[in-house]
Amino acid sequence: MLPGRPWRFLRRTLLERGLSFRPKVQLEDFAAEAMPHLAALYRTASLLLRNRHEAEDLVQDTYLEAWKSFHRFALGTNCRAWLFKIMFHRLYHLRRSLVKASRVIVIDSFGPQGELAAEPSVPQEICDEDVLNALSKVAVEFREVVLLADVEEFSYKKIAETLKIPLGTVMSRLSRGRKLLRQQLAEVARSYGINMRTKPAEETETA
Amino acid sequence: MNTLNFDSKRCERIRQHLDSYLSNELLVETAGEVVRHLESCEACSRDLESRMRVRDALQRAVANRPVPDSVRADVLRSLRESRRKSPLRARVTRWAVGVASIACILLALFAANWLNGRRVEQSVASILKLGLSDHVFCAIRGHNYPNIATPPEQIRRKLGARHAALLQVVQKRLPGFEVLEGHICSVPGSNREYVHFITRGQGAILSVILTERNGASLPTIKSLVSAKSAGISIYEDHLSGMEIAGFESAQYFVFIVADLRPSQTLQIARGLAPALNEIFAQPHSKDFSPLNLSLAAPPNLQWGVRR
Repeated sequence: MLPGRPWRFLRRTLLERGLSFRPKVQLEDFAAEAMPHLAALYRTASLLLRNRHEAEDLVQDTYLEAWKSFHRFALGTNCRAWLFKIMFHRLYHLRRSLVKASRVIVIDSFGPQGELAAEPSVPQEICDEDVLNALSKVAVEFREVVLLADVEEFSYKKIAETLKIPLGTVMSRLSRGRKLLRQQLAEVARSYGINMRTKPAEETETA
Repeated sequence: MNTLNFDSKRCERIRQHLDSYLSNELLVETAGEVVRHLESCEACSRDLESRMRVRDALQRAVANRPVPDSVRADVLRSLRESRRKSPLRARVTRWAVGVASIACILLALFAANWLNGRRVEQSVASILKLGLSDHVFCAIRGHNYPNIATPPEQIRRKLGARHAALLQVVQKRLPGFEVLEGHICSVPGSNREYVHFITRGQGAILSVILTERNGASLPTIKSLVSAKSAGISIYEDHLSGMEIAGFESAQYFVFIVADLRPSQTLQIARGLAPALNEIFAQPHSKDFSPLNLSLAAPPNLQWGVRR
């Protein structure tokens, strides 16, 4: 067997570009399969990047890349997960070239494990804007896991595959991301003075 | 509060599972344990409820986030544009790679063939050179022939009983050529001997040389064969200003060397080859083979010529 790089090069050149007998794929088939996931991809992209234009470019690149390699996609499998995987792959390439401006310094002070009293008080009613504001303050590596797990409802295994990180890291980042989000929401609630509507444990106990 | 303190260790353990419980990633047993605990623990239930509330709010907020129509339109447009370009390009690339691969294979085959041809050509030339050097040393530089032809009886004597019969063949098969001399030569610095006829005709000195093959043979490559006569392959080359035609006959290499045109040399070779084969095939042919290599060179040897 040849060493990694030349072998991959040969495979790409000969098999994928030159001698592969790829089935003829119609753009209409691709669109029917992939376009329904456009909104999900765009929303996730827009919550991970600095602005709308970057998100639009990323989604467009993702679809072009997916179209190019659609012959490798097994019809009937999870197209949404496949598209997300491509998008995150491109996102990492993008981040390498971009200044890491999308990273926001967050207060991710963690209390000692299992500190029950430190659980932040989340308001009863949360408006969309507050949630998204709070989310934007969570570091991007936690934010992406929270979005994939809570919004897209991917399994831990799928998230690990999409982000190319170990399963344990997915679990710890999700746990931490969710907690940071709750903390941020509690912060927002406090700043609005709506924390009166919350029902923290202490209140119940004193009542 | 007491309940919380009393069960705090248990709550702590359950809350570590709450994230996985929320994501439906717990094993059935652990999930059952969590559910049982939540039924009895209000604080943990509240915690879970708060986490669910955040998750639902997040789902809602993200789902309500508008997606501009332009995104879809731009994606579709870029896909259509890429379709216009890419399949053709892909097809061209595929063809190009295919054609290039075939060209490479053909080139490699051609190169291998050419190299092999060159090698064989060189080996033919190296054999033909034997005849050339014998002719040059004995006939040209040595000038070992008289101006007036040596009488046939004398030639036969020089050739010895073994090769005397060859004289007649040479005389018969070289019309227009006069046999000036015939003898057995030895190569200086080697124990190789050869039967040498020196003839004159068409304004040139022509040598007919027979030397033992010693197991060597001329390659059988059609492209290098200059002519064929009664199934015998004749090779022809121009070396050091001389035309040399060579062929195999029984255990000999036979060379015709002269400063003539290639066609003339080849014609002589074509005439001589079958006749030699015939004479070697006769029952008394054992007389011709092999040349007696142990024959001691006579003292009057000049340019290796035994007189």
